[in-house]
Amino acid sequence: MASAAMGEGSARSFMPAAFRNASADALCMVTVLLLAAFIVFFFGGAAMQRVVTYAAIMLTAVLGLQIFSGNSGIVSFGHAAFVGLGAYATGILTMPAALQRTALRDLPQFLAGYELSFFAALAVVLILAVVIGLLTGTPLLRLSGSSASIATLAMLIIVYTLLVAGREITRGSQPFYGVPREVGLWTAIGVASVALVVARLFRETAFGLATRAAANDERGAAAVGVDQRTSRLAAWVVGAVAAMAAGAMMAQFLGAFSPRDFYFELGFTFLAMLIVGGMNSSLGAFAGVVVTIVVIEVVRRFEGGGEVFGLHLPVLFGLTQGVLAIAMILVIWRRPTGLFGERELNLLRRPGRKAATVPAAPLLHAERDRLAADHLSRRYAGVIAVDDVTLAFDTDSITGIIGPNGAGKTTLLNMLAGDVEPSAGMVSIGGLVRQASAFRFARSGVARTFQNIRVFAQMTVLENVVVAARSVEPDLANAEAAAMRELSRMGLEKFADQPAARLAYGQRRRLEVARALALKPRFLLLDEPAAGMNAVETAELVSILSVVRAERRIGVVLIEHDMRLVMNLCERIVVIDHGRVIADGTPAEVQNNPAVVAAYLGSRTARAKTGQETPASETPASETA
Amino acid sequence: MPKLYRLHRAALYAAVFGMTLALVSKASAEEIIIGAATAQTGGLAPYDQPALAGLRMALDELNAKGGLGGQYIAKLIIKDTRSDTAQTATVAQELIDAGAKIMITPCDADPSISAGQLTQPLGIPTLTLCGSAPVLTAAVGDVMFGTYPADNVQATAVANFAIAEGKKKVYLLTSPDSTYTANLPEYFGKVFEKKGGAVVGRGTFTMGQPDFSAEITNIKSLADQPDLIMTAAYEPDFPAFIQQLRGAGVTVPVYGADAIGTPTVKGLGKLVDGVVYTAAGYAEPGSKLEAFNTAFAKYAGHAPESTYEVNGYEIGLILDQAVKTAGSDDPKAIRDAIAGLKDFDGITGKITYAGTDRMPLRPVALMRYEGGEGKHIQTMIPDAADVPAP
Repeated sequence: MASAAMGEGSARSFMPAAFRNASADALCMVTVLLLAAFIVFFFGGAAMQRVVTYAAIMLTAVLGLQIFSGNSGIVSFGHAAFVGLGAYATGILTMPAALQRTALRDLPQFLAGYELSFFAALAVVLILAVVIGLLTGTPLLRLSGSSASIATLAMLIIVYTLLVAGREITRGSQPFYGVPREVGLWTAIGVASVALVVARLFRETAFGLATRAAANDERGAAAVGVDQRTSRLAAWVVGAVAAMAAGAMMAQFLGAFSPRDFYFELGFTFLAMLIVGGMNSSLGAFAGVVVTIVVIEVVRRFEGGGEVFGLHLPVLFGLTQGVLAIAMILVIWRRPTGLFGERELNLLRRPGRKAATVPAAPLLHAERDRLAADHLSRRYAGVIAVDDVTLAFDTDSITGIIGPNGAGKTTLLNMLAGDVEPSAGMVSIGGLVRQASAFRFARSGVARTFQNIRVFAQMTVLENVVVAARSVEPDLANAEAAAMRELSRMGLEKFADQPAARLAYGQRRRLEVARALALKPRFLLLDEPAAGMNAVETAELVSILSVVRAERRIGVVLIEHDMRLVMNLCERIVVIDHGRVIADGTPAEVQNNPAVVAAYLGSRTARAKTGQETPASETPASETA
Repeated sequence: MPKLYRLHRAALYAAVFGMTLALVSKASAEEIIIGAATAQTGGLAPYDQPALAGLRMALDELNAKGGLGGQYIAKLIIKDTRSDTAQTATVAQELIDAGAKIMITPCDADPSISAGQLTQPLGIPTLTLCGSAPVLTAAVGDVMFGTYPADNVQATAVANFAIAEGKKKVYLLTSPDSTYTANLPEYFGKVFEKKGGAVVGRGTFTMGQPDFSAEITNIKSLADQPDLIMTAAYEPDFPAFIQQLRGAGVTVPVYGADAIGTPTVKGLGKLVDGVVYTAAGYAEPGSKLEAFNTAFAKYAGHAPESTYEVNGYEIGLILDQAVKTAGSDDPKAIRDAIAGLKDFDGITGKITYAGTDRMPLRPVALMRYEGGEGKHIQTMIPDAADVPAP
């Protein structure tokens, strides 16, 4: 027991647990790949070796697609274009000069006559890939969701058109030929192995985590300090690098190609392979390529007819595509997320494994600070949600914001969190006026939770918190430790390796709070933290919040309809109605304020008239008196 | 490491070679394996299949008479390339492993080049079914042979005819979207200029574009009106273009190549009156081609869909002649024999490889639409010296 703990401790010193787990997964997949390569090398013919070489090249490209689409959730059609660009660049760089003079007579001088070896060309192509990735990614990724997908489609068409139009360089639509064929089995396997490791590790990097978080929930990610554009751009560039490496190999594997070899058909082939295997994991990409190639290779041998086990088979060309199509339909029907879409291998991380105990670190008290709203207003097409509100919140305090439904509480909170831009007025943190930006607010000490929970359902409980911790901790190992500490404070440590989607409602609420606290905030904004909780869960939450406030001395601001909770927990209460502050003071002061009583009674009478009775969430203030 | 790698590779080649030898020695000494890496499915299948049917018919007939050169029974192994370049290379390798001494590749340049790069170092003669890009053979090397009239050969035939007609000025309409549409009119231009004609304008279109008004306005506004318009556009672009051209009142004759010899274009009736195009052969009454068409209909149960069938049949005849000349089934000897063919009597006319870049000189039939029918003008074999370099 003690030795095991020591083993873990020493391992942690050189690599964080997430990377250790990812490396084990990657090594396992690389081993399978190498094993396949060795088998065909020693027992397969030249044709079989070509099949495996081709599979390795496809794998590299599909991994490139997975790095982007799998993490960001945006389907990309554009990776075939990267493969094409990589192929043409390699073709030009490696072509023998003598051949180049006849095949590419009008090649611009600065491109001619390099005659590089494959690996030298690959190095150039990879640098080029970073540049092209940044160029295409910057405008592309200002879009989101399906419009970003369509933009990748547009990029594919643009690249194709450029390849066809650039006749001096690409021979236009004519076959580009004369590329030396140096890429064999081991080169392809080597590059594919590197791509496998990169794809598997990328998930766990700050960029990978952030991209996945943003794909799960954009606003939730911004609230924990995720700059979604930067992280998504990183995924795009890394994906482009892998795809262009695949293109470089493809050029030397085929020897002759033309722009249409890198068009829709190839793009859809990549997507089909990835969807069969499962888009969300590198294991999925790996499995998708392996399954597709194996099905093709097995079925292909029967379509030419012949005798199998004494059975006479008819000639049936097209059988391959038929079986492949049926296999795909079956996979999508029975397993909509693909064969291995849900999880990675996670060799070192099994649910139910005893969570590593984290030494409790001394909690630092938050520095004294002030979050201030100055004449803040927000209008929505004629409706004034928040009207000229001036408020200030200090650290080491708990403030409740109450008011009838539609009073503008959430809008106010959103503006305080940088999530919504004020129509007028400004928000300052520690006297510094801030431009509205949810992730920048989160990084400068304002954490929040949401009325409708925004946890990252497809990520593990630990990853949910690590995403936030990475915003304030520069290295992953520290972030992991900090995240574990926050989880154990919320009593969630035993669920650390489970997907957040499996948590019960109350646990998700607690997870969201843990995630917010991992940002080491000076202010914590909670939007109806007790909504939907039962009495036991609410009591638990109250005690947790009291402890948090006492331990860290942060400023807590919460919107709540549960008056018992507000009156027990808060030392100051702000009442808002019709976007204006109508009362601000201690619970006792507020309860006796006639304007508050009128607002609540008025709203209640109105509700009684229309016959809508909402649950007892809005107990009038006077009842608790 | 590289040395070790080479060693392994050498060992592997030796093993494969040994296996091939073993296979061959086991097989009947009277058998020659022809590998067909052709598209059974996918976009190229409509071109590969008719050609392959013609080749099959030829081999069946030849085998009935004792095989290629009268002594080697031809065994045709067909593998599907799925119209995919990478897959073509893979199945070509499998066919080589199976002992193929002659390779047949698809009707397209990319896969043919890919397969040719595998057969080139082994000296296995490789023939594309109907790939017509003239660059195809130079891209691979001396084992690669075209069989169909190359783009530049067709263009030369049309240009010769136009010059003979007294045409002086041409407008070239090209599309960069395919080799055929991009280059064929340019080849025409080269021959035309060499023989005293002039190119007075050039225009481009995008394949699949429905509107040609910009190009037509350009043609109408030319100060120097052309005597003819040369284009390699085909369906659906050609019908759209000629419809809009005539609609705009331009009566300049339009010449094209083999891709507009289709029922659809013929069906345009008066609209295409005077349009000149090419074919790989014309079945005049009493000609060998007419006899082939009848025989093929009997063999396959349907009439030939195009001239690809006869082209495939002629490949069989060429191989037969080459094996006969070589007197053996040695791939290198067969290759040399094909390369030396001169005035070989095919079905459509005389076929010559000697003195060419292995894209054959062979008859091109010039046709003209008149009153909704394709009328044969003449059949010619362009002079090798006239054919522009690819």
